[in-house]
Amino acid sequence: MSIFNTLFNYIGQIYTDRLPYFPTNIRVSLLIILFCVITAIELYLYMMVRRAVRSVRSKRMKYWDDYISVLLANMIVFDETDHPHEVVAHFYPKLKKIPLRSKVVNSILVEKILTYHKNFTGKTAEVLSLMYRKLSLDKKAKRKIKNRNWETKIEGIREANEMDLMEMAHLIVEYTDDENALLRMEAQAAYIKLSQSDPFHFLDRAQERILDWHQVVLFEIITKHKKLTIPSFSKWLYSSNDTVVMLCLKLVDHFMQFDAAQEVIKLLKHQNPKIVRKAVEIIGKLELEDAESFMFEIYFNHSEEIKLEILNALGKIASGNYSEFLSSRIYSADVKIKKEALYAIKIDPDHGEEKLRTIYLQTGQENQALIKHVLDDRIR
Amino acid sequence: MREFLTDFETIFNNAIFYYAVVVMGSYVIFTLLSAIEMNSYMKKNSYVNYREILVSPLAPSVSILAPAYNEEATIIENIRSLLSLHYGNYEVIIINDGSTDHTFQRMFDYYQLEKVDFAVNYQITCNEIKGVYKSKLPSFSKLTIVDKVNGGKSDALNAGINVSGKDLLLCIDVDCIVQEDAILKLAKPYLEEKYQVIATGGVVRIANSCKVEDGKLVEVNMPRNLWPRFQVLEYIRAFLMGRMAWSRLNGLLIISGAMGLFDKNIVIKVGGYDHTTVGEDMELVVRMRRYMYEQDRRFKVVYIPDPLCWTEAPADLQILGRQRNRWTRGTIETLWTHKDLFFNPRYGILGMLSYPYWLFFEWLAPIVEAFGVCVFILLALMGNINWEFSLILLSMVYCFSVMLSTVAIFFEEMSYQQYTKGKDLAKLLLAAFLEPILYHPLTVIWAIQGNVHKFRGKNNWGTMTRKGFKNAEALNSTANTTT
Repeated sequence: MSIFNTLFNYIGQIYTDRLPYFPTNIRVSLLIILFCVITAIELYLYMMVRRAVRSVRSKRMKYWDDYISVLLANMIVFDETDHPHEVVAHFYPKLKKIPLRSKVVNSILVEKILTYHKNFTGKTAEVLSLMYRKLSLDKKAKRKIKNRNWETKIEGIREANEMDLMEMAHLIVEYTDDENALLRMEAQAAYIKLSQSDPFHFLDRAQERILDWHQVVLFEIITKHKKLTIPSFSKWLYSSNDTVVMLCLKLVDHFMQFDAAQEVIKLLKHQNPKIVRKAVEIIGKLELEDAESFMFEIYFNHSEEIKLEILNALGKIASGNYSEFLSSRIYSADVKIKKEALYAIKIDPDHGEEKLRTIYLQTGQENQALIKHVLDDRIR
Repeated sequence: MREFLTDFETIFNNAIFYYAVVVMGSYVIFTLLSAIEMNSYMKKNSYVNYREILVSPLAPSVSILAPAYNEEATIIENIRSLLSLHYGNYEVIIINDGSTDHTFQRMFDYYQLEKVDFAVNYQITCNEIKGVYKSKLPSFSKLTIVDKVNGGKSDALNAGINVSGKDLLLCIDVDCIVQEDAILKLAKPYLEEKYQVIATGGVVRIANSCKVEDGKLVEVNMPRNLWPRFQVLEYIRAFLMGRMAWSRLNGLLIISGAMGLFDKNIVIKVGGYDHTTVGEDMELVVRMRRYMYEQDRRFKVVYIPDPLCWTEAPADLQILGRQRNRWTRGTIETLWTHKDLFFNPRYGILGMLSYPYWLFFEWLAPIVEAFGVCVFILLALMGNINWEFSLILLSMVYCFSVMLSTVAIFFEEMSYQQYTKGKDLAKLLLAAFLEPILYHPLTVIWAIQGNVHKFRGKNNWGTMTRKGFKNAEALNSTANTTT
């Protein structure tokens, strides 16, 4: 015990009476020690308390999670002959008893309704929508959308999106060109679903970039949403925002919009190489014979990546107009160009492989190896 | 003489003190930066539905490159695990780097391989590729096996790059346990950054004592052995604090060799992995970065805090020592190769901050520390030590080290909380107290050994024996030697 007393007395002294007499570096060291000890102790306490609180909270959450799940499950499997309004009227008093003022309980209920709504259609989805509104959760979602915090806004937008709160579209459109990329993306995704008159209006006003990731998300929504009326995306191919052009090119490609052919061909002169490459790819997929001469024209001025895409597109069009050009490319110094030209020749379903076999007999060892490779369907 | 020694002691004390304060100051700044970066990442990704990349035709294509050298005990299971990763457009390329055991034969038999007429485009130099094989079974159509003459890990990866047909390269150690959603998470930054992303890396975790079934991690446990436990702490500190902070600054110099996703075009343009260094992972990132600066292209190297890859840490001090020795030599080699970056404004943060930091605080720190200890002992023998002041200085370094480890554990608690059991957390906190006394001195010795070996021209990888994850049977099985 006396050792500890001595130690504590010593520490007490160096931090009080003796501190001013130490050299600067020792004083600073003592302060750093004090800071480190206090920080470490605080962190230990915080971690312990956090674990304890989480344990209690998770038990409480599990209770409410189970309780709400059972209630909603009962509501879903309730007498099928009943009208949705009757089902809601039956279950409303029970759900109303839940302490919705508690943020945790409220978020569990909302999350559950959203999940069930996502997984059910028809009458069940309708019952859930009605109950959602009856519990005034739509008003809460509206307040969330108007909240200053972007994360809360996103929560509200997601709710509106899932619960088909069409009346929120006019609020959401404001955020479709927001500086915050996440908020922007969520708003765009929701707006497509919720706007009944002009779901692609946000593309007209998009000044901010639609990042590749956002394009993936929007592409998924647009291509999977069955009720959406798909417009001709050619009208946005002249947009000054390159990312809008890129997204629309991907959609033109997916929906095989032949009416966009002329606009796509014009994009071969675009200054953004990514757009040129995508335009070439679409020309190939749509087999636009008219574009062959334009592609040939730009071939020698572009990077290897675009050259490869042009060769591929010429192969897909397979008009025969540029077959000599494709054959000449197998004598290029670039192996990738050679290989792509050989693949382009092979694409022709009638004479492709036969032509490759003829070339095989007339060419050198390196090209023969490449032809063997191209003819092997197990590899690319 | 007495006066001289007293003066020397004062200067020595001050020099050590200021060096320590600068190092500690940099750690504090990094801690703050990584806290900001992690917070931003966690917020941003709490809204992400990775399924969208999984099913999207717009997702970038990925080639997984896994070199294998004498991995016959686990190769089948490792490949199966890689083939079951969650991603749409990817291929798995296993490069058999001239194994002397039955690695190739086991793959050949199990996956019913047949040779294909693959015309390899040798865009990067590598040893001769003897053959490229595909499975006859359609269910393994994503698998490609490259059989080549032995040339080491870098050479094997270069061979894989030459065979790869996708946009991105996921270079991994074949014996690592990869999380199923690892590619999704690593690929996402390529789709969302304003500037071109040239490489992404994720957190590597220690899998010792964890439960592994069918090549998948099913239960996370704290290593029973003390040395891997210290490494758990070390990895958490390095990945969750150090690399996240560097990622925030866009000054990251290293993507772990165990797992990293790279832009194939840039890797090819810089000539692939360097065969001559034992620190090929760091060297490649530095070379890619300087290439981008030289091309005046804006870019990012991104680190994500998700635990994506689990690896077996050396439990044996001798093997651990060899690994750290190699890491030190790798650092020296990279710093020497790219010495013109030192405070070179042309290379932005790479030249002005990352390189000098690595030079002064990664390479020099153990040397300064060892020098300090030697001088301290010398002065003590001569009776010229103010023991009270020395003890206070040592206590400061010790307390700071414990605090830093505690902050790292706190980050782990606040983010992914992999160690859910209370006793695991207690073990980790206890390790934070013991590490500066038991483990850190060894890392300094190994770093000094690495320096000595480097300057004596020793340039090999050293044998890395692993026990394997499988089960008790596998624990006693033939040791695997990685390339």
